[in-house]
Amino acid sequence: MTWLFLQAVVSGLLLGGVYGLVASGLSLIFGVLRIINFAHGAVMMLGMYASYWLFVLLGVDPYLSILVTGPLFFGIGVLIQRIVIEPNRDAAEHNQLLLTLGVALFFENLALVLWQGDFRTVRVWYSGASFLVADVLVEVPRLVAAGGAVLIALGLWGFLRTTDVGKAIRALSEEPEGARLVGVNVARIRGVAFGIGSACVAVAGALVTPFFYVAPDVGESFNIMAFVVVVLGGMGNFLGALMGGFIVGLAESLGAAFLPGSLKQLVVFGLFVVVLLLRPEGLFGTRRGR
Amino acid sequence: MAARLAPLLAAAALVALPPLLPKYALEVLISILFFGYLGACWNILGGYGGQFSFGHAAFFGLGAYTSTLLFLHWGVSPWIGMLAGGLLAAGFGLFAGYLSFRYGLRGPYFSLVTLAFAEMLRVVAVNWKAVGSSLGLVVPNRGSAPALFLFAEKLPYYYVILTMAVGALVITRAMERSRMGYALAAIRENEDAAEAAGVDALSTKLSAMALSSFLTALGGTFYAQYFSYIDPSLTFGPAISIGGLLPAIVGGAGTVTGPLLGSFVLTPISELTRAALRGRAGADIMLYGLVLILVISFLPNGLVGWIRARRAPAGGRR
Amino acid sequence: MSNDQRISLTAPIGRRRFLTAVGAVSAALAAPALVRAQAREVKVGYILPVTGPLAFEAQLALNGLQLAVDEINGAGGIKSLGGAKITLLPGDTQNKVELGNSEAARLIDQNVTALIGPFSSLVAFSVRQVTEKNKTPFLLLATVADNVLEGGLRYCFRMQPNARAMATLTVGNMIEMAKNAGTPIKRVAIMHEDGNFGTTMGNHVEAFAGKMGYELVQRVPYNLRSPDFTPELSKVKASRPDLLVISGYYGDSKIIAETAAKLRIGVNALVGLANAAYSNPKFITENRELTDQLFDGNYWHNPQSARARAVFEAYQKRFNSTMSNHGVQGYQVMFVLKDALERAASTDREKVRDAIAKTNLTDHILTQDAIHFDEAGESVNATPALLQVQGGKPVVVGPARFLEAKPVFPVAKWKG
Repeated sequence: MTWLFLQAVVSGLLLGGVYGLVASGLSLIFGVLRIINFAHGAVMMLGMYASYWLFVLLGVDPYLSILVTGPLFFGIGVLIQRIVIEPNRDAAEHNQLLLTLGVALFFENLALVLWQGDFRTVRVWYSGASFLVADVLVEVPRLVAAGGAVLIALGLWGFLRTTDVGKAIRALSEEPEGARLVGVNVARIRGVAFGIGSACVAVAGALVTPFFYVAPDVGESFNIMAFVVVVLGGMGNFLGALMGGFIVGLAESLGAAFLPGSLKQLVVFGLFVVVLLLRPEGLFGTRRGR
Repeated sequence: MAARLAPLLAAAALVALPPLLPKYALEVLISILFFGYLGACWNILGGYGGQFSFGHAAFFGLGAYTSTLLFLHWGVSPWIGMLAGGLLAAGFGLFAGYLSFRYGLRGPYFSLVTLAFAEMLRVVAVNWKAVGSSLGLVVPNRGSAPALFLFAEKLPYYYVILTMAVGALVITRAMERSRMGYALAAIRENEDAAEAAGVDALSTKLSAMALSSFLTALGGTFYAQYFSYIDPSLTFGPAISIGGLLPAIVGGAGTVTGPLLGSFVLTPISELTRAALRGRAGADIMLYGLVLILVISFLPNGLVGWIRARRAPAGGRR
Repeated sequence: MSNDQRISLTAPIGRRRFLTAVGAVSAALAAPALVRAQAREVKVGYILPVTGPLAFEAQLALNGLQLAVDEINGAGGIKSLGGAKITLLPGDTQNKVELGNSEAARLIDQNVTALIGPFSSLVAFSVRQVTEKNKTPFLLLATVADNVLEGGLRYCFRMQPNARAMATLTVGNMIEMAKNAGTPIKRVAIMHEDGNFGTTMGNHVEAFAGKMGYELVQRVPYNLRSPDFTPELSKVKASRPDLLVISGYYGDSKIIAETAAKLRIGVNALVGLANAAYSNPKFITENRELTDQLFDGNYWHNPQSARARAVFEAYQKRFNSTMSNHGVQGYQVMFVLKDALERAASTDREKVRDAIAKTNLTDHILTQDAIHFDEAGESVNATPALLQVQGGKPVVVGPARFLEAKPVFPVAKWKG
């Protein structure tokens, strides 16, 4: 039993790291644009396809593909924000939500139309690598994904703290009126934030490609998880998203190990509902006007 | 003059034409009315109440499962089971609604929590053997048994859903003009101000929730009887949640005819895409996504809003 | 087989199709004499998810259908109908229920003698009503759910083993083989996707435990979309089974096999149950080391049959890929229909239906005795083959009389 528990903890943390990165992007977008981006998972999926094609056509290792997909999806994110979201910045909140839903439907089915529904896999030399720590399995690709995710998230956090753009983003996120007053180029920063969020999730996609598969609907499971994590961690709270990722990963993993059936999803959603009701600012967030 | 006649002609056509239509044209019409109905139910809470639920499938599924289980295990006619399902769904709606509204969940937070509730019900159904788990439930259709909501032909189903759709519209209209309707409108505009003006936001929203969920559940029973088969992913899944709200948004949330109009518009678009891009699965949904984006961007009040704006240029702003 | 539902909105028709349909119906009504005169062709419709999430597998089945049709037509068509050729009419369900219905209705209006399809059990539930209503023979293809033939249907037939047969015969074959190898199987664990397909399989494996002499020590339904199955597999490992059965789709089955190997799951063998991946040539080619010595209980062709081998090669030559179980099904089901057509000597749906019901076909390429159907339309002798991946390809290791190679059991790498 202890082994089962330990294994579940390790697996949960490894997956949680990736959830954290995915959620960080979502959290950033929410913090600055105040919209819940339903298209987040779809962008991740596109990022995975990009890594896949780079691998299949040019032999680029998925981890290295980040150097390409990161900037590429930053650009795509900026475009989406400029073309679809910015023109509707003053629309009702729920309408903005529906906009991202429209983008999600569009992208998911674009992938289906272009590349059909079959599963594609990337097999690299380290796909099968793993080691045991006191009987607990650690798979190398998952470890790299989790580690990479945490590093990137921390790097981003540092970026937000130290650079001008980062500070502008934080300003806009925490104090929108004040930010405007001190001359922050709101429109530009909103685009940048969406771009960074999209880049985050595309990179997360590249990180999971070595052990997951690529198909038009792979983003869906991460999408839901990202919402749960962001709510847990606090909307707009970057580090909270990372912590939330680990918590959700653990909850899911422990649920899978100790609950019958496929009820682990219930644990995650249950957690989600409870936090939404009792502490909507998240476990790590500070109370702010909704 | 023409504007007056058009709806009447349309109504007459809807009643008189179907017996003459080939079978799948009829199927298509049934689909249109079905999603128009779902949209109208969603509209009561979403369009009029301003509470955008992304998990209406929860009520749909509860309705479908309740009436089907009552029918399979105790031989209860689905006409009655329908009402039981509606009550159960309304009960769940009140429960979920109370939790959400009482804890002040609004806007996207409310949408997310409804999404979570629908998903949780789905997971429960998948893992619960007594309700069939993933195997679903088959509604045996051995021929005509109108008392048991079973028909050998498609035509009677058509008239049922037509009645339901019209009924939903009538109820929506009645509600719009009632006290509840005005209270909802006030809440939609500015909930805090409405509260300050004496509107009991909580009970008003709960009423809308109860009505919306009750009616949606009836749609679940129709689905079970028409398709003869239900399972967790079909009834509690996002297809139903989104399938209901899309027509309402496109047609015009918060209007009586919006959802139905939206459904009449979206469906042909889907077909044209399918015909034009022969056999490219997903092309039609891709277009739906685009349509949704375009409608939100350019017709934020949906088609009905746009039509109204064109008809009353001066002072026609909503 | 999939209950994968996309955001499935309606299946409307446009003016063009509407008019075509009306045209077809009136033509059929107006000229019955024309139809009866000289049946130069037999129209057979298929409804498959040729686009959408199951497109890949559907195409494989379609290849099989096409191979069969060309062989039949090449050999002179249906002799008892004066050499009438078979014309395959396409129908795309996109794996959606409403489309399944409308495509079936459309093909029926185009006067097909029979329909073949539709893969997904969900779609089948609905389409069978349409075919039953319209008294059109419906030959199921890859539809595994047991209750699809429930309800006294007259026009629906299933050539392959249903879920119950798949589950019980596969596990049974494994147990038999283990006994012969001197390492009996006593403790069985099953992991299955939590949809219709997996749950059905899981139910059977659980229900037959006592009867077949094993203990079901763990049953784990899982969510298809999970990126990680380590906790689920850990649960399995903790229950110390001898045998692990996996009923899943392509992507998840792959991750499970990988993780099970790394986790040193400790079983004597890993066996797929109608698994979408484990005997799939593409999966095997792309994952040589992982798939080596994996078992799978699945539909397959009979390696002892010269005809089957010839067909296998014909497929390879024509489509430049190995014939998979989908191809086998597609091919064989067309020949079942051909046999019925020959005996019926008519394209009249009722006569063809009766002919199918009386089928007793021994000249086939499957791993079973003669094909014939019971009252409900199930193929009585339908038997899945037990396959094991050896040397980079799946070989038949059971039932004994169809043996292609001896099984390797226990499998060291799963033993841990």
